[in-house]
Amino acid sequence: MKPSTRGKKPAQGNRTPVIANGNAGRIHPVVIYPFRQPDKLQDLEHLYEMVARLDADKATYARPITVIDCKTREILARNPRHLQFLQRTVSRHSDILEAWCVDTCQMWYTGLGAAYERGARSDIYWLIPGDFNYGDPVGRDVLSRLHDLPEICAELEQDLSIGEIATSYSNSKHLIDTYGTFALLYTWFPKEAAEIREYTERPRSEFFAIRHQFLGEMLHRRWYGYEQTVVMLLHAVLDTRHISRFFVGNISDLPEGRDTLSSAMQQVERTERVLKTLWRERHHHEPGWSARYRQLEAESEQVRGTALTLLERLLS
Amino acid sequence: MITSNRETYSAHRNLQARNFICHASQAKTVSLVGDFNHWNPSAHPMQRGPDGAWTARIEIRHGHHRYAFLADDQLLLDPQAMGVARNDQGQRVSLIAVS
Repeated sequence: MKPSTRGKKPAQGNRTPVIANGNAGRIHPVVIYPFRQPDKLQDLEHLYEMVARLDADKATYARPITVIDCKTREILARNPRHLQFLQRTVSRHSDILEAWCVDTCQMWYTGLGAAYERGARSDIYWLIPGDFNYGDPVGRDVLSRLHDLPEICAELEQDLSIGEIATSYSNSKHLIDTYGTFALLYTWFPKEAAEIREYTERPRSEFFAIRHQFLGEMLHRRWYGYEQTVVMLLHAVLDTRHISRFFVGNISDLPEGRDTLSSAMQQVERTERVLKTLWRERHHHEPGWSARYRQLEAESEQVRGTALTLLERLLS
Repeated sequence: MITSNRETYSAHRNLQARNFICHASQAKTVSLVGDFNHWNPSAHPMQRGPDGAWTARIEIRHGHHRYAFLADDQLLLDPQAMGVARNDQGQRVSLIAVS
């Protein structure tokens, strides 16, 4: 059932979502707590001001979930200021979900999975990455727009709403996507890659909202360990789901979480691995699939090699 | 969509005025179509300015809407739009958030 809309007045300069009524679904915010801790708490303080508002609007939002890696929790325990923020603010406005995670994607999987178990058919799930500069003026502006993502899912009956941030051409995320992600996507899934590019230049975006049924399918099919946004976009295109892209602003990730050359290389390698797995899954019943796979693998190796060379030149 | 005037009207508090500009100087007719007018080409015809740009100012309900410019029967995306989606016919269209 499509959630109905109702007009609401902004709260403290940030609009609250327009969906909410007895029959409509609720929005489940899932915050991914930064793996590495910033020196200043300013960005997290602004983020959790928004989370507090979401938590207060119980007609529209389910209780927010904050996912914290257990390794992060151990580090926080040694920092009184951060520990106090966690205990007084984060746990007050959200349910903390601690998990041993190998990477951020596993944190997504853990948080979205937990929210899904609490959810219902009409619900929307909203992923909110914690490691961005929400304390800056542009970051605060982005915070005031992020809620558009789940609202677009609800109001326009979209299965997946991708948030796109503006980055400079020299930004590592942009470089990884241009020379790595899209180049590999065009190798393994050329038709779908063209379709994805019609929506977004950021197929690995950390900002998105997803509808209950589609999330359920993704959770049950997600044995791919990483690059979940790419996987979701591919499935959405392959299954002709309703996808939308929405510009959320000029936000930057925090210096603590920025990509080093090594990290950029790892992300390209992981993307290739997940695309290979997905391709095999979709084609292994077809005659002659292994020969085609070998051919694509050879092309993919060249693409990956070129991407790594370019990243080495641009990020070193 | 290029401007966002945060005007509210006492009789229609959930309506806000928005200006739209379409740069299609060669077009003979341009209209604004979207969820808000049921994609009806005659609902919001755009006016041609001296510089060749087509403009329209309409009141839109609070929320999120899909829209496009219909220039001589050709659907055009708004390069200034906040987002992209598809309409019920599967065509790419623009997104606007009205708050």
